[in-house]
Amino acid sequence: MIKFLLKRAALTLPTFFALMFVTFVAIRMVPGDPVEVRTGERGISPERLAQFRHELGLDQPIWKQFLDYVWQLLHGDFGTSIVTNEKVLTEFFSLFPATLELSLSAMLFAVVLGVPAGVTAAVKRGSWFDHTLMGAAVTGFSMPIFWWGLLLIMLVSERWGLTPVSGRIDLINYYFEPVTGFMLIDALRSDQPGAFWSALHHLILPTIVLGTVPLAVIARMTRSSMLEVLSEDYVRTARAKGLSPFRVIGFHALRNALIPVVTIVGLQVGTLLAGAVLTETIFSWPGVGKWLIEAIGRRDYPALQGGILLISSMVIVVNLIIDVLYGAINPRIRHGR
Amino acid sequence: MAVDALAAQPAQPAPPGPLRAFWASFSENKGAVGGLVVLVVIALLAIFAHVVSPYSPYEQFRDFTKLPPAWEDGGNWQFVLGTDALGRDTLTRLIYGARISLFIGIAVMATSVVVGVLMGLTAAFLGGVVDTVIMRIMDLILSVPGLVLAILVVAVLGPSLTNTIVAVAIVYLPSYVRLVRASALGELGKDYVTASRVAGVGTLRLMFVTILPNCLAPLIVQAALGVSNAILEAAALGFLGLGAQPPTPEWGAMLADSREFIRSNPWIVTLPGLAILVTVVAINLMGDGLRDALDPKLKRS
Repeated sequence: MIKFLLKRAALTLPTFFALMFVTFVAIRMVPGDPVEVRTGERGISPERLAQFRHELGLDQPIWKQFLDYVWQLLHGDFGTSIVTNEKVLTEFFSLFPATLELSLSAMLFAVVLGVPAGVTAAVKRGSWFDHTLMGAAVTGFSMPIFWWGLLLIMLVSERWGLTPVSGRIDLINYYFEPVTGFMLIDALRSDQPGAFWSALHHLILPTIVLGTVPLAVIARMTRSSMLEVLSEDYVRTARAKGLSPFRVIGFHALRNALIPVVTIVGLQVGTLLAGAVLTETIFSWPGVGKWLIEAIGRRDYPALQGGILLISSMVIVVNLIIDVLYGAINPRIRHGR
Repeated sequence: MAVDALAAQPAQPAPPGPLRAFWASFSENKGAVGGLVVLVVIALLAIFAHVVSPYSPYEQFRDFTKLPPAWEDGGNWQFVLGTDALGRDTLTRLIYGARISLFIGIAVMATSVVVGVLMGLTAAFLGGVVDTVIMRIMDLILSVPGLVLAILVVAVLGPSLTNTIVAVAIVYLPSYVRLVRASALGELGKDYVTASRVAGVGTLRLMFVTILPNCLAPLIVQAALGVSNAILEAAALGFLGLGAQPPTPEWGAMLADSREFIRSNPWIVTLPGLAILVTVVAINLMGDGLRDALDPKLKRS
């Protein structure tokens, strides 16, 4: 098991290095001068300009810049934002909990609704429920989520006044220092009455918007995986043994049907992070997705570079974990290679 | 064509032609046929946009700004789906938007299919270092979330329609490379390939004439779904202001343009998104039908 784990981990190393190289080269190619962005349009004396360039390391030869960059990365230094002068790593991780809270909430939404819906559709194959659900699923994963978000804001927030339009909590009535960065937990800890409900209220619409595509994918996947399992011999045997349908479906069949679903959940991590960019933009959710888009607008190279590197590294690590977990669940994979 | 295999099933007494066999299987799926019909209508509208649309997509009727659709209070039958903030006819812009979105979808698909087939076949045939390098690059692309990668590419190249196509094509390249490589590797060990080799067929002919046609079925399915994904992704870039630039009547950009009117004039926001949704659903339904008809192995429902 440990050998398998180390081997899988080692395989990701070249990807990491290539990722560093690509983000480095790509960001150098972005049009627009970062020094100019920082100093403004008015222009400064040539001496100050040279000094700025020197401070940012932009006067070094390009290969030296790259080596310095890798060296810094290996020491956990992801650069300093040109605009805010904050460490990129600090900035990223102060915003990341917001993205994580939203993503986890969306994933929970998708799994809690998607798995039972998929199972029901498979068991009642061909029924109106099955047809409706599959129709809804196609619509769900065809959804332009930026529009879905605007539509929900328009209906739920503007017309019915049920949920807030943007942000994570009602900042006028509630304020507390972030401890965990998870608004729901911090709100509970703050002991301010109503803070938790306010945070939960703010989370509902973004969760639905971000969770829609994974929900559709999970429901479809569960249904088809369940259909396959239901025709297996051991399910027939379990039925023949006289087990209740509930036990056969809920215990024997579901356990095996869920294996591909677990993989799909893992593969959705990238989709979630990409979706978070759009969802956070629509709901002014202060997470890393919105921050990344703003970094492009401000030509904040180091932030963009560090942000993309960190997000991609997370995807690689999560995929690695899923792979390893999958190997743990399913011995055929562990020993097959 | 791979459908030959389908048509040649021994169980059928008189095997129908491959196209008829395909259609028989495809038309069983009502959703797929519905999707195809909607898609054909949208495509015809897009092709004949300059004939069917009442105005020019850039013409501004300053006396008729932010009109709701004709059937709503204050609507005007001159502008069936209303007008935007600058008084441009929404119906016209949606029709021209179909032209842009379908073009993006097809261009992205064509680019990534061509490059994907070349790289996938190369990886499968040459093996060794070339294979490893190509597949590691694909792993790299896959490790960056699609939209984030597209944003990076657009940030480097600058926002425009062409760069949107390039960016999204890069995002979807790995799925084609992996697919082609895997199915080519599967075919390589088969007897007919060995027979061709023994008969002295050159590598290039072997790649493109002998093997490629046998990998087509999953590729066609993937390509159909690739068009809808590309349309969604391009619209998202347009919405973020990184895709087609105003005043181009691109659906995503139209949405971004009208965001501020979400409260006062919900129609301006609703319609472009609905256009995206309908188009993408139609393509996905058709893609499901294609999969069931072309690739019985993948048939899941």
